[in-house]
Amino acid sequence: MKFLILGLMLSGGVMARDIEVKVSGMVCSMCAQGIQKKFSQYSSIENLKVDLDSKTVFIKTKGEEDLSDKNIQEAIFEAGYNVTSIKR
Amino acid sequence: MKSLFIFLFPLTLFAHPVIYQGGVAVSSFNMEKLSNHYALYSFTPKFSAGAENWRFDKKDFGFLKANSLLYRKNTENSQGNLYLHTGYGTENTYQVGLEGDWETRRIYTSLKHLQFNHHRVSQGRIGFSPVEKSFNDLQVWVMFQTMVTRDETMLTPMLRFFYHNYLWEVGSSLKGEWMLNLMVHL
Repeated sequence: MKFLILGLMLSGGVMARDIEVKVSGMVCSMCAQGIQKKFSQYSSIENLKVDLDSKTVFIKTKGEEDLSDKNIQEAIFEAGYNVTSIKR
Repeated sequence: MKSLFIFLFPLTLFAHPVIYQGGVAVSSFNMEKLSNHYALYSFTPKFSAGAENWRFDKKDFGFLKANSLLYRKNTENSQGNLYLHTGYGTENTYQVGLEGDWETRRIYTSLKHLQFNHHRVSQGRIGFSPVEKSFNDLQVWVMFQTMVTRDETMLTPMLRFFYHNYLWEVGSSLKGEWMLNLMVHL
């Protein structure tokens, strides 16, 4: 039982975080390359996907690592866009 | 010099003059009588500066350029921008101008007016993309450009392609002057 609890704690502790960032103004794929560039400075990101259809940036972080709303908003702003919402 | 300005303007009209913070836009343009190269660094998402060189009739001209994003409107399905262009170059040549654009994933429009020492050029562009492509796909646009100078009006249909951080355009004016634009964002 102890091992089961420990295992659950450990597995829960290393789960990646999924963040969905709605972005306004994201209509040009070449311009939106800047979003990838800006987020590439964060080592806590395991995977990032830009979806022009849903106007959403999907972020998956590494393990327990997180990315603050402030960092997300800064990266999107420096790329030239505005954050509409952040869903975790 | 007048002809030089007439042919210069297509070079700087095909992409946003300010890109993401820390980004570098490198461009190469070649026509039968003209070649142009520039590099612009965006210090912020609202300001870029850099150097531009172009050749016309085997003569080079250099510019120091500074561009500012005056206004941007981001909506869910569109983006609109207003830019200020300034530049100072060899032989005491200066340039100042305004550029506005509005675009969706299917429609692109832009208007620009540039004033040089003793010349002026107004330019408009409209384009459409037949298909909405995803972020990593090759994007194809059909574009039409009208350029009005003191002396003439030129209409240039062209094709524009995006792929990741690369852009290229190919076209020919109705007078038969071919055009090839290449750009990369680094």
